[in-house]
Amino acid sequence: MKVVVACVLALLLSTGVMATQENYAFQTEQQRADFKRLTSELRCPMCQNQNIADSDAMIAHDMRRKVYQLITEGNGHDDVIDFMKQRYGDFVHYQPPVTNTTIWLWVLPFTVLFIGGWILIRRQPVDIDVSESGQARTSDQEALIAKAEAMLEKEK
Amino acid sequence: MISNRFLVPLVVFVALVFFLYQGLFSDPRERDSQVLAQPMPIFSLPDLMDPSIIHTNDVFTGQVTLLNIWGVWCVTCAVELPYLTELSQQGVRFVGLYYDQDLDPDFGTKTLARVQQEVIETTNQLGNPFAFNIFDVYRDTSLDLGVTGAPETLLIDQQGVIRVHHIGDINPRVWEAKFAPLYNTLIAQGVGQ
Repeated sequence: MKVVVACVLALLLSTGVMATQENYAFQTEQQRADFKRLTSELRCPMCQNQNIADSDAMIAHDMRRKVYQLITEGNGHDDVIDFMKQRYGDFVHYQPPVTNTTIWLWVLPFTVLFIGGWILIRRQPVDIDVSESGQARTSDQEALIAKAEAMLEKEK
Repeated sequence: MISNRFLVPLVVFVALVFFLYQGLFSDPRERDSQVLAQPMPIFSLPDLMDPSIIHTNDVFTGQVTLLNIWGVWCVTCAVELPYLTELSQQGVRFVGLYYDQDLDPDFGTKTLARVQQEVIETTNQLGNPFAFNIFDVYRDTSLDLGVTGAPETLLIDQQGVIRVHHIGDINPRVWEAKFAPLYNTLIAQGVGQ
């Protein structure tokens, strides 16, 4: 049993090992942190919906190497993002800028929320007097029950 | 007269249906190329067959060229090679931007001779449309072009400006629809000058 558990754990660990096959050496901790942040922020253009840190596609390998190269040459975070955007478009960054198209992603939810709220406020309240209508309802129900029972009686 | 109570949800519903219906036919992989109408990025790369020859942007001046990004490991490239060869026999100028999948520039073990041999074998078998192949050793130029995989084809005009960026293979349908009209216009312009 212990062996099985150990094997399963080893398998689970192996995925983590896969993702970090490449060993890049950095001069400073800052560069290492930048590299980690950038590779998780950049989106793989081939295998969409994966960042380039996770992806094993060739283009992701190449992009990682390019990011590494740019960082060790002394480029900052924004420089690398700009470099990639110039080549692969806004698509490549997981944080798209607000443009004429993407503005709708911000505007629409708030519009719907606003309209919903407005309708709720504007809605005519149906039951004003709770006690009165409550009574009305019970008498209604009683009538219905009586009717139903009468029908049941008939059926018999 | 229909009241707003029914009209408003109806309009919203129809708009939603229209939006979602369009989504059915949209290709999430389709992206706008960033290099369209841009000059070819500056490069200086060796010839695949004879690395002592260095190709630069000059190879595109004065001629309409189709730059085909390919590799022998790429299945779709093998599919399009015969058709590209047919086009090249009709006078279309193809230049290959070759890049190797197995050759990791940093840790690679594959020799250039091996790559050359594979290319020769493939082109002997399927046809060779290329005037020559530029070897994108570090795949930097591919990256500059925003290439995501192979095959991709660029139509480059006489001034070295990229006019079409096509992702995927070239077949008669794609050629007729996407390349031929502009290609013929450019050729006609070149003759007129």
